[in-house]
Amino acid sequence: MANLLEVEGLTKRFGGLVAVKDVSFGIPPGEILGLIGPNGSGKSTVMKLIMGIERPNAGAVRLDGTDVAGWPTHRIARAGVGLVFQHSRPLHRQTVLENIKLALLPDSLTRLFAGTDIENRTREIAARVGLSKVMDRLPSTLPFADLRRMELAKAIARNPKVVLVDEPFAGLTSAEVRDFSELIASFRAEGHAVLLVDHNVKSVAALVDRVFAMYLGERVAVGTADEVMRDETVRRVYLGGAIETATRPERDFQGRPPLLQVEDVSVFYGKAQALERVSLHVGEGEFVSVVGLNGAGKTTLFNAISGLVPYAGTVRFATEPLRGRTAAQIARGGVVQCPESRELFGEMSVRENLDLGGQHLPRDQAEERLAWLLDLFPILNARARQAARTLSGGEQQMLAIARALMMQPRLLILDEPTLGLAPVILEQLSKALERLRQTHDTTVLLGEQNVTFALPHADRVYVLEHARIVWEGDPARFAQEAGTGYL
Amino acid sequence: MQALQILIDGFAISSLYALGAIGFTLIFGVCGVLNLSHGAIMVTAAVAAWATADAWHAGTYGGALIGVAAGTILALATYALVVRPIQRSRAIPAEEKEIFILTSTLLWGIMLQEAIAYFFTDNPKTVRPLLPGVVEILGVRTPWNEVLTAAISWAAIGLVWLLIHRTKRGKQLLAAAINPRGLTLLGFELENIYVLVWGLYGVLAGIAGVLLGAFLGVSSANIGTLTASAFSVVVLGGLGSVTGSLVAAYVVGYLETVTAYLVAPSIRSVPVLLLLVAVVYTRPQGLLGRR
Amino acid sequence: MRSWISAAVVGVVLALLPFAVGSYILGLLVFGFYYAVFAMSWDLLFGFAGEVNFGPSFLIGVGAYAAALLNHYFNTPIPLCLVAAAVAAVVAGLILAVPALRLTGPYFGLITLVAVLLLQTFIVLYSGITGGEIGLDLPDVFANGEVRANYWIALAFMSISGAILFGLSRSAVGLILQASGQDRIEAAALGYNVTKHKLAAFCISALFSGLAGAMLIFSQGTASVGLVVDIAVGVQAIIGAVLGGRRTIFGAAIGAIFLVAAQELLRPLGQLSIFVVSAFALLVILFFPGGFLGAVGALGGVLGRSAR
Repeated sequence: MANLLEVEGLTKRFGGLVAVKDVSFGIPPGEILGLIGPNGSGKSTVMKLIMGIERPNAGAVRLDGTDVAGWPTHRIARAGVGLVFQHSRPLHRQTVLENIKLALLPDSLTRLFAGTDIENRTREIAARVGLSKVMDRLPSTLPFADLRRMELAKAIARNPKVVLVDEPFAGLTSAEVRDFSELIASFRAEGHAVLLVDHNVKSVAALVDRVFAMYLGERVAVGTADEVMRDETVRRVYLGGAIETATRPERDFQGRPPLLQVEDVSVFYGKAQALERVSLHVGEGEFVSVVGLNGAGKTTLFNAISGLVPYAGTVRFATEPLRGRTAAQIARGGVVQCPESRELFGEMSVRENLDLGGQHLPRDQAEERLAWLLDLFPILNARARQAARTLSGGEQQMLAIARALMMQPRLLILDEPTLGLAPVILEQLSKALERLRQTHDTTVLLGEQNVTFALPHADRVYVLEHARIVWEGDPARFAQEAGTGYL
Repeated sequence: MQALQILIDGFAISSLYALGAIGFTLIFGVCGVLNLSHGAIMVTAAVAAWATADAWHAGTYGGALIGVAAGTILALATYALVVRPIQRSRAIPAEEKEIFILTSTLLWGIMLQEAIAYFFTDNPKTVRPLLPGVVEILGVRTPWNEVLTAAISWAAIGLVWLLIHRTKRGKQLLAAAINPRGLTLLGFELENIYVLVWGLYGVLAGIAGVLLGAFLGVSSANIGTLTASAFSVVVLGGLGSVTGSLVAAYVVGYLETVTAYLVAPSIRSVPVLLLLVAVVYTRPQGLLGRR
Repeated sequence: MRSWISAAVVGVVLALLPFAVGSYILGLLVFGFYYAVFAMSWDLLFGFAGEVNFGPSFLIGVGAYAAALLNHYFNTPIPLCLVAAAVAAVVAGLILAVPALRLTGPYFGLITLVAVLLLQTFIVLYSGITGGEIGLDLPDVFANGEVRANYWIALAFMSISGAILFGLSRSAVGLILQASGQDRIEAAALGYNVTKHKLAAFCISALFSGLAGAMLIFSQGTASVGLVVDIAVGVQAIIGAVLGGRRTIFGAAIGAIFLVAAQELLRPLGQLSIFVVSAFALLVILFFPGGFLGAVGALGGVLGRSAR
């Protein structure tokens, strides 16, 4: 049976970066394929290439035999591809019914009325996805799951040959996940093809027929969900290889209140709950790792602590509540974050970036600190006059950490420092962190999905999954208890 | 002989354009705001200088200083009363904030224009030149005023450059233009930076206004043209690029002067407008634009 | 449906007005009605297609002057002039649309402003032909200048334009426009050629703007820069639309008429009248970004809730 969707030799470059390299797969009618990969793996780019939101540099995208690569998005959509974006995109001023109707109208300049056919079909689809009761409501009044239902309704409205769904179950309860799985399965049963894009196999394992795993733009494994989860290469690149823990000095925290205390913190982005009653603590001098996949909530947690997003609950630093302080005040107060996006000043030199970090200190202290950091990260010394954006990924990460350290933080928060970095660089970074811990008593809160990086330095580990803390303990126990089910 | 005249006049006018444009582009680069009340602030400063020189017996220099102060206060008021409430408003969706700021600064500018016309009429006013008399430059008789306009403009531009590239605060300004979130993470309050930039902008607009008043005279009637030429320069040079504004100011200034001398003064803005159209069609980010 | 009924009621009241008020006020309302069409056209483009046009007077002026030049030099009958105005304005709209669809952010708004400046400069430059700042006298005037007839003509034009524009905004095509303006990637993913729809929106906005501009000059008997090209004309249309309430079409009409009436009412203040109107508009924008209709809607919501 010919494939409904066929991707062959797909390649996409953004400047010097190869986001997708020679990717090929096919989906026959009546099959669900899972496209899996962590951030930066290229899976979202592949989806955009299929949909025409990006144009491939090479390769073909065949829809039921016709090559659609390079076609504008709306033409591909009309040819029979439906798309559910990762974040819902409703029209806020229109009702649910009008939003779905929009998925059914022809692309005509002269059509004034939708017509009874379309009106009826709209209601049909709304009923199919379970939105009959809320058809006249505005999207802002709907719960999160209903918004996702509406996105699905829009995608399948015209009975497309292929449906692409980005992160189908993110933010849904288990009951809602069941409903959605049934909907997607029913679509498969009608003989269509489905491509599910997600960052971990476990969440879609029950639904997909096959899995295509990606890393750094290339294919690393293809097969059933089980096969892929057991695949050596997949485990190595996603988990980072064998899990080691190093012995570390005993620390006594009894009697002293923790430096950072997070109590029952919840964060909502619109309707989606990004954090659910999360509690953790970090003692002075401790190195705590928060392990979790993309979308688990690590960045949201750190942003709440740093005062960058509103939250419910309490965050205490040195027993003082942080609520009410501006983000800049919190940073000056000793809680310094080195975010996932690094937020460097690209056009400024390495030296200028570091200087800005030390501006709050008296001149001589700043110079002393700078000298120490340039010793800790010698590569920065060599590149002191270069513009920050000309540095490699690993060098930029080191600059970001060094700049944060210039502020003499009492608590250093590191968010996914290993993102997108090659293993060799990870080694260097790991060594630098080790030296840092040995020479200075810095308290560190690290958020990582790369377990191999997160464990060796940690005194304690938390596991964050779907907005909740699901496990807490020391690294040795982690390897035994939580490690296996992690992928 | 005429070539020298063009050279000198063009230089003076361009320097003035540069001064006005740099403030305008700073506000856009650091705060992301296109301030359509720019011309109004300049003219208010000039009128303040003119009015107080006589009415309060402040004299030429006192009047000039008061004019600059008026420009500064007005710029800060624009930020506090018009721009900041919109930036902080929760009723306005984020993607519409820009047009609201544009419309509001436009309205604010109209208010200022009408207020000036009401209190001082829209007759052209000339601020008394800081230095009377003429000087001969390479055989061309040039008013001292004109020379001073160029000199003071460049002094101000130089000071701004020093401030931005050689002081701690200046580095913070540059950083805020590149990455405001990064700056917050390093413990700097963006609010303080914004107030500083608006204040600096007010000083620059005030100086430009007073100089313009002394050089060519001002009237509340040509406030619109002033704003228009400032943003023409800034768009040509590239929104957000200070160097771009400098270069573009000279392109515009000389283009206007050459047209005025060699063709006719009434159509001196035409080649500039045509150039602007060409640039926006072919290279919308301007000569050196970033954002 | 409620909107149509209230509009019909208002329409009847307005139609009967000439029997109750004097010709001065009627003359003012003629202005107001044409400005209402300027504002409604702008609202269609901004509120629905999401494009910020800072120089609507470019489109208004092109339409008006096309009609004026034909009438002045060739004595072309008014209906033909109006057709020419519409065509010229649509062409101008397309010229504006081409860069729009390639630019983002503030750049497009800047082009629209530059377009007005260019038009104004050229009209003044070629004042021998165009009459420059003084303007062109027109041999033909609506109803020979009789105020009541002009009033009804203007009212009819505004009502028909408003009905068409409002109807479009609520139609299937209007829904597609809203999607194109709000989220062009989602609109494309749903199968819509966003470029095509935005071009159409430009043409419609241009058509009504240019036509209204031409009708305005024929109601006054002259065409001049101050009447149809000056930036102030466009600014007044924009402020009227924002004041009345973006994306409501009717709000634009209300806002525009309010501005014309307010400036007149405040005329005794002399120079300060524009100041007061601008200050008022600024305050409304800052505190009630939803404009008049937005505030009324919010009030209705509050009243409705407390009544229960």
